[in-house]
Formats: sequence, structure tokens, C-alpha cells
Amino acid sequence: MKFHISRQMIYILSLSVVFLIVVFVFAFAVLIPMGKEYRVARMETKKVAYHVDLIQSEYDKVYNKLKNLKADNRHVIGAYTTIFNADRFTKVHAQHFESFSLSELTTPVQEGDFATYEVNTSTLINSPQGFYDFLDAVNKSDNIVSVNFPIHFERDANLIKSSFTMHVYAANQQENNTSQE
Amino acid sequence: MRNSFIKPRVKTLISPEFKLLFFFFSITLGMLLTSYAFLKIKAVMYETNIAELQAKGESLKTDIISMNGEIAFIEIEKQHAEGVYTSNTVLKESIHNLFDLVPQKITLSKADLKEDELVLYGVTPSKEVYEFLLLAPLRSIFHRSYTSYYAMDNGWYSFVSKNYLDRELAVK
Repeated sequence: MKFHISRQMIYILSLSVVFLIVVFVFAFAVLIPMGKEYRVARMETKKVAYHVDLIQSEYDKVYNKLKNLKADNRHVIGAYTTIFNADRFTKVHAQHFESFSLSELTTPVQEGDFATYEVNTSTLINSPQGFYDFLDAVNKSDNIVSVNFPIHFERDANLIKSSFTMHVYAANQQENNTSQE
Repeated sequence: MRNSFIKPRVKTLISPEFKLLFFFFSITLGMLLTSYAFLKIKAVMYETNIAELQAKGESLKTDIISMNGEIAFIEIEKQHAEGVYTSNTVLKESIHNLFDLVPQKITLSKADLKEDELVLYGVTPSKEVYEFLLLAPLRSIFHRSYTSYYAMDNGWYSFVSKNYLDRELAVK
């Protein structure tokens, strides 16, 4: 039996072989490395996303902690940033005394994270109860104020004259605001 | 005049077999290029996504550090405020106790309170009254107590009582 292959068939076969080679070369040289790159990128994305999720959950935890801490200590935080107003302080606490006067605030002294202002106080009281009430009220005032030694009590007719020093504490950032003002 | 009995065949540059072959070649090439484009675009998208996620992670980390700083500072403020409030309350209790200590028979005219020192000025009907009713409790609180008496015209005594706390002994 005679097998005859036409010239056209040879062309077609040759072209098909060339094309097959091109396809293989393209697949192995370009497509497969690109697929690998894609797979690596996908894996990397998942890894980074997991890592970011962990950071996000840590962020949420810290954020909630800060939020709760701020809510629980609203008064304390506000008290450290409120600028001491001697007139307001006198107005609020004068009710415990017959007479109540404050000296000017001194220049602040840095004590770690806080600036401390000193203010001298002179009062006249009917009975020590006024002084006790003042010490209770001072813990609820707009600023963080401590009453310090020395404390001097002296009888003055039917009243008691007292003088003492108070320390007003402010967070250091307040100092910057005050100096700017 | 016709030299052939058949109708001449129209000759084209590319035969139908080649056309079919090129059609399949183009489809195959198209699929390959589409796959390549798909992979390339997806890889670029993932890389962009990674960069965005990394930037977000860094920003979250910075925020966490800043919030932790804020938390630490609030804790310090809270602790400091509690210390101040406690010291005011302790001061109130100390003064309360001091005034409760003074018996009805003794009248104080002046009191100086310092950190480790208490000086009382007053009037007592007799030295014994002072010693039994005021000096005894003062001695139980302070490490050293010194009293000076001054006789008055009405037979009473004015006194100056100096009381000291020794810090070293207090620590022990």
C-alpha cells in the first residue's frame, strides 16, 4: 500500500510541531512561574492578613482597655488637665469656713510626670468640723489638691484661725498650655 | 475556447485547512495569554493587598504603642491621685484624732502640726491633769515629748508641749 503525504500536510504538521513547542516553552518559561508567583502572593496575603488580624484584635483589646480606663477615671484625668482657678476654688470651698483666702500660685516644680504648684491658705473656722468637711470636699474638687504640713491652728476669740499649704498637681502637658496662655 | 472541462478552482493564499489550523492556534494562544493575564493581575492585586495590609499593621502597631503610653500615664495619674486622696484622708483622721485627744479640762490656744512634730500651746488647771489626760496619750504616739509649764495668776498653768516622731525609730 502506498502512503502518500501531501506537501500541504507536511506544512500543517510542521506548523503544529512548532506551535506545540512554542506552547510548551510559554507554559514552562512564563505561565508556570507566574502561577507559582500568584500562589506565593496568595499565601503571603493570607499570612499577612492573619498577622494583621492578630494586631487588630490586640488593638481592639488595648482600645477597649483605654476606653474603660478613661471612663472610670474621667474625674482624675480631667482634674490633672484643668487649670487651677483660685476664684472658683475659693467660691466652692468657702462654705466650710468663716473666711477663706488663697495666695497666688507659685511657679510649678516638676515632680516626675507632674507639675506641682504651691498655694498658701488662711482660714477662719467655727469648729474643726469645717476643716474636716473641707478635706473631704477637696478630694472631689476640679483639681488634684493635697493639703500639706505645716498646719497651724490658733484660737482667735470664738473662732479658730488656721493656715496651711496646699499642693495643686497638674499633668506636665498642662504646664505647656499655661505657659502658652 | 475552453481548454478544460472542469470549472477553475478559486485559489486563495491560505487554504481552509490552514485557516482551521490558525483558528485553533489562536484559541489556544488566547487561552494561554488570558491565563497569564489573569495570574499576573491577581498576583499584582495580592501584592498591593499585602502592601496595604502591612501599612495597616504598622499603623495599628503605632496606635497600640501610643495607646499603651496613654494607659500607662492614666495609671500613673490614677495612682498619684489615689495617693493624694489617701494623704488628705489620713491628714483629716490625724487632726480629728488629735482634737479628740484633748480633754474638756484642757484648752488649746495654738497647735502647730508638722510632718514629724506637734507643738501644742494651751491652758491646764493643773500639771497632773495635763500629765494624765494629755501627756500620756501623746507619749504613746510620739517618741519624744517635752513640756514647759508657766504658772498663771489664777493658779492654772499655761503649757507648751513639743512632741517629736523620730523617723528612724518609726521606720523600725
